[in-house]
Parts: sequence; structure tokens; C-alpha cells
Amino acid sequence: MTSTNDSNKAAPRKSGPSRRGAMKTIAGAAAALVAAPYIRPASAAPTALRALMWEAYAVRDVIGAFEEKHKVKFAPTFFDGNSEAYNKLRVGGTKDFDLVQADGFWPSLYFREKLIRDMDYAKIPGTANYFPAFKPDAFPLLKDETSGVFFGVPFCWGSYGITYNVGEVPVEKAKSLELLFSPDYSGRLATNARFEENIALAGIMVAHRMGTIDKPRPDGKSFNPYKLTDEELDGVEKLLIEQKPLLLTRYQDAATLEQLLVSGAIVAAPEFAQVYRLMLEKKAKGELDITVDHTLKPKEGGLGWVDTWLISSGVTDAEKADICHAFIDTMIKPETMVQIGKASGCSTTIDIRLLSSAEDQVLYLMNRTDELRGMYMFDQPSSTEKWERVWSRVQAA
Amino acid sequence: MIGGLRISRDPRAWIFLGVPSVFLVLLFVLPLVSMIVLSFWRTENYHIIQDWNVDNYYVIATAGAYVTFLIRSLVMAVIVSALCVAIAWPVAYGVIVYGGRYKLLLSLGFAIPFLTGEVLRVIALQGLLGPLGLFNGVLMALGAAPLRFIMYTNFASAIGLVYLYLPIVVTVIYLSLLNFDMRLIDAARIFGAGPFRGFIEVTWPLNLFGTLIGFALCFVPCLSATLVPRFLGGPSGTLYGMALAQQFGESGTWALGAAMGVVLFLLSIAGVLLVFRFVDLRRSGFTGFGRS
Repeated sequence: MTSTNDSNKAAPRKSGPSRRGAMKTIAGAAAALVAAPYIRPASAAPTALRALMWEAYAVRDVIGAFEEKHKVKFAPTFFDGNSEAYNKLRVGGTKDFDLVQADGFWPSLYFREKLIRDMDYAKIPGTANYFPAFKPDAFPLLKDETSGVFFGVPFCWGSYGITYNVGEVPVEKAKSLELLFSPDYSGRLATNARFEENIALAGIMVAHRMGTIDKPRPDGKSFNPYKLTDEELDGVEKLLIEQKPLLLTRYQDAATLEQLLVSGAIVAAPEFAQVYRLMLEKKAKGELDITVDHTLKPKEGGLGWVDTWLISSGVTDAEKADICHAFIDTMIKPETMVQIGKASGCSTTIDIRLLSSAEDQVLYLMNRTDELRGMYMFDQPSSTEKWERVWSRVQAA
Repeated sequence: MIGGLRISRDPRAWIFLGVPSVFLVLLFVLPLVSMIVLSFWRTENYHIIQDWNVDNYYVIATAGAYVTFLIRSLVMAVIVSALCVAIAWPVAYGVIVYGGRYKLLLSLGFAIPFLTGEVLRVIALQGLLGPLGLFNGVLMALGAAPLRFIMYTNFASAIGLVYLYLPIVVTVIYLSLLNFDMRLIDAARIFGAGPFRGFIEVTWPLNLFGTLIGFALCFVPCLSATLVPRFLGGPSGTLYGMALAQQFGESGTWALGAAMGVVLFLLSIAGVLLVFRFVDLRRSGFTGFGRS
């Protein structure tokens, strides 16, 4: 035994590559490969600008010109709803995106959770062109109350009003949310597939019927359809189940809604006024027979939103931050906003009345920006778990 | 020899078996394990709380809505798979018997729909069945009422699912029939069997395995279908897969979604085991056991 050990000690060590060495090399190479996209010299200029945004705002001409001017590649990722974007950011998305879009109260949630960073309005000269309702001092949603810093820039706005067929629905009926729950139009109504807005809109209706909309709330704040009491949620569930047989469908996209309205299969649906505008334009060109109108804010109350540009907290170096500010400034230039308004069918927060016809001023609600103040902003549900259960029960009923 | 299983010492065997094994472990086993772990945690307003509990399974079993989605999906999957098999059999049989030298071309034709994405196909179908589509557009142009049962209903979903998965079932049954010795039918006929009896006692049982594979390849994706019910199903057409996807999308209730995924996985496994329990593979045209 001893002699064997001795002979082992005396044996010369192999000088070739060992298995452990090879494993180390492979592990090192793998780590380098994985880390490579994230490693670059601190002084290097940014080469890409990654945005998590709504597809409707990705105007190719404007983005192409920006890429050319700043020598960066713009890489957008699109999402459908705030909660989807929030989920993406929370699971490490701050490292994957430089620019982010959100609306309503979501930007303040992002800021509280350190998913976005502060923003320097001085680097965005275009902010001087806002309608009065969106000037930094008049629009508190994008300002941190404690520190006083701004963390977002308003972009487009709108409501979740009711588009209806004028030939089928009397104007008086269309002014109320009751229209969406009226058996008179059974099988000829549709709603969006988004669960938050379905529940929130029904929440306004239920709180109005229960008389709780103007009463003191448990949290001491004013009524918010995204913070409903359990009794109100029960009422919402019942109301949405009653509404189901009245609906032809819950539409997934604007194109489907347009088809449903144009064909006469439905007579009314809540929407972001995009389809309404598209249909009015077609009507003006003589491409449509039917006439539609849009109730911006139903008498019981309405939902509103302001899309904003935000900079992700993953942007830490000054040069990248400058590019982000420059991009936002490009996007809110009045000329760009005219294009974006046309492409997306949304109203702009930038005053573009001097560049717009009288018809467009009416169509894009340019003289009605103050009405947004009376609407309930899109928000995060008080409990996504409770809301999910309500929505599932409605779907299963 | 490991547990009665003979494993070759040939390094090539290790490479050929090892690469897919690593692939499976990384991309199937690990995600499945993480899903199982997540299903025993909970979410609260888009935050994952690592608090071990069985609440998600309790909710699925007792809330009613998820059981409804599951039953709807099971019924839908059985009907659609049975329909696909019923349609695919005569089609595949026709290609084999009458296809002649165009057999291959005809069978490749079934793959054409796969050249476009599933989303595109479903949206195209939505347009076709919708109010301005081929059927209702013509009816409405003629002044008739549109056919409401093909617009945003479970019936529309069934049409969509048959449309999506029929080519797979036809291809599988075609491949099964391609390996089937047609002389056995002649033999049955010589011994006095009519066409129906020949089919029931020879052709069908000896192609049962291929048929079951086709059924399963339609049944499993139907059970977890998301796009079709979303675009075609309407307000009362939510299926289990769509509800599951919702947990990982809008509502952010990932832990509940993970539990729903585990339930779906276990159900699929149970379905396969059930087939193995009741079908004698040696008498169903399955050749995987070898000749010994």
C-alpha cells in the first residue's frame, strides 16, 4: 500500500490540459458570451435605444430620421396593457428597456417601485408646447410629491367613452353608461376584452346606482373605480354577468371593432375614440354609409388616460439619458404629434391647433382637454387577485 | 446495466442521447419544476410572495369558474378531436387509395397552412366568420339576417380548432396508412368480409395507434387553446388555456396560473395513461416494441 502511494507521489504530473482546466475554460467562455451584450466601455456612445411602448406610436418616418441623426438603432417592444408592461419591467425589464410608456397612475407606481428614473424637462424643449391642462404645474400625475422631481412626460390622451351608431341609438341614451347594459340592444353591444376597464366602467355604474360614488370612501379619498369596496365588486360581478347575453363579443383590437360597427352587427361599444375617428374620416371621404358619434364622458362618470414617456431606471449613464431625452423631445415636436395623432387616432397633449384644420381640431378634441380633469384616470386595481376572481366568474357564468 | 436497462458504452450513443437529454432538462424539466414551485407560492398585486401554501389548488378546485373552464375545454377538445379524426380518415384513406403518383404532393399539401402563423390563420378565420365575412357578408348583402351562431360562439371556436388541427391529424393518419399493408384488406375480402367488416376488423384496428396519435396531437393543444377562444369564442367562450394565459398576462396572478398549468399537465398525463391502460398497443399497429 505504502509503496503504491510512494510511486504515485514520484510520478510526474501531466503537463497537458486537465479536465478541470477545460471545464474552467468552457465556463469562462460561456460567462463571457452571456455577459458580452452588457459589457461595453464606459465612454462608448450608445448604439441602441430600446423602448417598451404601444405599437400605434411607432411612426416609422420619425423614428428613422432620429436613428439617422443620432446614429442609434431604435428597438421597440410592444405591449397591450399597463399590467403587461408592468409585469415585464418587474421581472428585470429595467435592464432590457431604456424608454417605457404608461398611462394614468401607472407612472407614479413605476417611480415608487424604482422602475423608472427622474426626468429633466430642461432637456426637452418641446414641453413648452403643451396645452395648459398638461403643463408641468397643472398636471400633478407625473411629479413626485416628496422630492418634487418629474418622472414622466405627457404624450397623448383620451377617454374610454362610448362610440355609437347615431341611426340606431338616440343621443340621450348614448350619454349614459346604462346604454352598455340595456336589454334594448341585446346582442348588438360589444366591449373591450381588457378586464380592468370592464370592471372599472361597471364599477362607476354600480357606485352610481348604489349612491356610493359621492359618499366618503374607506380610504378617505374620493371615489376611484379601481379601488372598489367588496359590496361594489359584488355588484359589478352581477352587472357584468347580466351584461353578457347582451354582448356580441369582447373585441380584441380596433380593426375588429370597426368591422362590427361598419357591418351594423353592433350599435355601441366603449373604446378609446380611435375607431370613432377612423370612421368619421371614412365617412367624410364617402366610404361609409353609417354615422357614428362618441360620448367622451358619460353622465355617471368616465375613464380617462394620458399616455406618457418614461425613462427606465436601468438608464444610469448620462449619455444614454441624453439620447432618451432627445428621443422624447423628437416625439413631442408639434409636427411629429400631428403625424402621430393621424396614425394612432389619439388626441395629443401638445397644442397643434396651428397645424390642424378646423375639422381636425374638433375630431381630435383639441378644445376639450380640460374635460380630462373630471375623469377617473386608468389605475392599478386595488387587488388584482380579487379582480381576477370576479372576472373569471363573469367569464364562466 | 442500470435497473435492467442496458446502456451502451459507445461515446456516440452518449452524445446522441445526451444532447436531447440536456435540451429536455434545460427547456422542459427545469421550467416545469419552477412552475410547480411557483404554484405553491402566491402573488399579491403583481408581487410574488414566497409563502408555501396550497391555496392556488384550493381555489382551482373550489372557485367553480376554473372547473367550468376545464370542463368546457375537455368537452371542446373531445368533440374537436373526434371531428378531426372523422374527417381525416376518409381524406387520408382517399389519398392513399386514389392518390396514385400524386400521393406525396397531396400529403405535402396538408402542410401548406403551417407556412403561415397561427395568429394569422385565426384572425383570417375571424374575418371569414365575422359580420363582413364570406357567409354573413353575402347573407347581409342579400338582406338576410347574419348567422349569429358562427360569430363569437363556442361553435365558432370549434370550427377554428378543427381548421387549425385537421391537417396534423390527416398527416398522422396518412403516415399510418402509408405503412399499412393494403393486401390485408384483399385477404379479408377473399375470406368473405365485406368492405365495412374489413375496415372494422382489419384496417381500423391495425391503424388504431396512428389514429390515437392523431387524436392526441389534436386533443392536447385544444385543451390548452388560447388564441382561438380569444378571437372566436365570444363572451361565453373562455376556455381553460385562455384563462390560464390571462393569469400570466393582464392579471399578473402568476402563482394561480402556474397551478392551473400543473393541473393541465397532470390531466394530459392522465389522458395518455388512460389510453395505454385500455388500448393493447401490440394489436394496434404500433411497431415500437420490436419483433421479439
